[in-house]
Amino acid sequence: MSFRLECKKIRRTGLTAAFIAGSIIAAALPVINTAARPDTFTSMAGSPAAVLTDANLQLISMLNLLLVTAGACILYHIEYADNGLQKMQSLPVRESGLFTGKCGILLPFVLVMFLFEAASLCFCGWHWLDAGKEELIEMLQTLGFTLLLTLPAAIIALVISSACRNMWTTLGIGVLCIFTATMLPTDNFIFSLFPYVLPFQILPGMETTRVIHYCIAAVCETGIACAAEFIYLKVRRLFA
Amino acid sequence: MNIFTLALVEFKKIKRSKILLILIAATVILWLPNILNADLNFDMNDIGISPENSFFIQGFMGMTWFIYPAVMVVTTVILVQTERTNHGILKMLALPVSTPLLCFAKFIVLAVTAAAFILFMTAGYYIAAAAAGALNDYSFILAPGYVLPFAGKLYLASLPMLTVFWLIAVCISTPIFSVGVGLVSIVSSVLINNTEVWFLYPMGYPFYLIMSEYGEVAENIGKSSLDLIPWIPVAALISLICLLISCLYFGRAERR
Repeated sequence: MSFRLECKKIRRTGLTAAFIAGSIIAAALPVINTAARPDTFTSMAGSPAAVLTDANLQLISMLNLLLVTAGACILYHIEYADNGLQKMQSLPVRESGLFTGKCGILLPFVLVMFLFEAASLCFCGWHWLDAGKEELIEMLQTLGFTLLLTLPAAIIALVISSACRNMWTTLGIGVLCIFTATMLPTDNFIFSLFPYVLPFQILPGMETTRVIHYCIAAVCETGIACAAEFIYLKVRRLFA
Repeated sequence: MNIFTLALVEFKKIKRSKILLILIAATVILWLPNILNADLNFDMNDIGISPENSFFIQGFMGMTWFIYPAVMVVTTVILVQTERTNHGILKMLALPVSTPLLCFAKFIVLAVTAAAFILFMTAGYYIAAAAAGALNDYSFILAPGYVLPFAGKLYLASLPMLTVFWLIAVCISTPIFSVGVGLVSIVSSVLINNTEVWFLYPMGYPFYLIMSEYGEVAENIGKSSLDLIPWIPVAALISLICLLISCLYFGRAERR
């Protein structure tokens, strides 16, 4: 029931259109980049996945994070504007159900975003870099890895936006977090576990143990963020 | 009410918005890693830049490429949303005040916030340079006669960008689109700055200014020419058009 309600709520927020437009922009990036100077890329050493992700993934991840932050802002802004949240709280449903519903909206959008980007990167690889079946599978693995590492940031963005009444506080904190991610040194493993830095990690050329560490870290951070939200909701309810 | 009273009223409205907190946090986040990694500025021999110049440029580059425009987008959200919650805008529009003037007063708040941010950044630079100097036994501090005019130029170069953000915030009433368009336009500025027609894209101006300054003080970085002639008229024209449209459009969605 919660999920269908959420779908109805976002109907007139423009969230769907925004995510599709953002995905198209993010997907257009590698195509434009490769089409503008194909010779640079065809002459580079390494597999097509490594070449293309090296050239494009940083900007794509940046766009993804910005979209996720803005999307999370809107999802809770529609509750706080005009006190919709109070009505939700008076219903005989758990408050955490609202959070799960919002996750159920945001995560499919993130998935769609990655599908667009995967299609575009595979097209670039197939058209300009003569990628075969195996190389395309490597590309998909790379994006799947990035998708997994984007999850903590998405959930944390939702947690922040559920905690802040005003949209700009959420947006401000999100923007500051993304900025921190760009400022942190890239070679330090501990710093790279910061949820907003994780999506900037690139799979090709990474050691297997490190890949596993990142995957575990992403899953743990997602779990911790969800747990923190559930505890926060309980505490807020107690003191409300 | 004249424009000063209106602007004062607007400042009162955002008094409790915590925007100053965001500005200060951004300054700290920017300069802290720069202080800790200040020793990296010593091996810049292949670029041919002195450590103190490198410290200054790296810090300001970090600011202009993302956080400065992003914070300005957040400020536009504050300015627009404080009015929309509880329909404050309807009360404002019911007053015998000219709407374009009201819109301009809000833009002044945005411009002052931008000035405050650049001021914080410059102050942060001096604190950071002193701290990094104490850590590394080297004077990173540049003369205020160089830093302050540069910060002023940076501010002037960012005004067209502010008008564009303000236009986006006023004209696109769906919040996700106004925020999304603003943020996405920051990311693409890096790409457009590499083309010939960079002067048509106001969001890239501050970063372009920094890059051309980088080319000036570093010997082995390609110089990017800063021709004032197509740039200044185009920038002025863009800002005027954006301000005019936003002032005329302001409140139209609410008056329907």
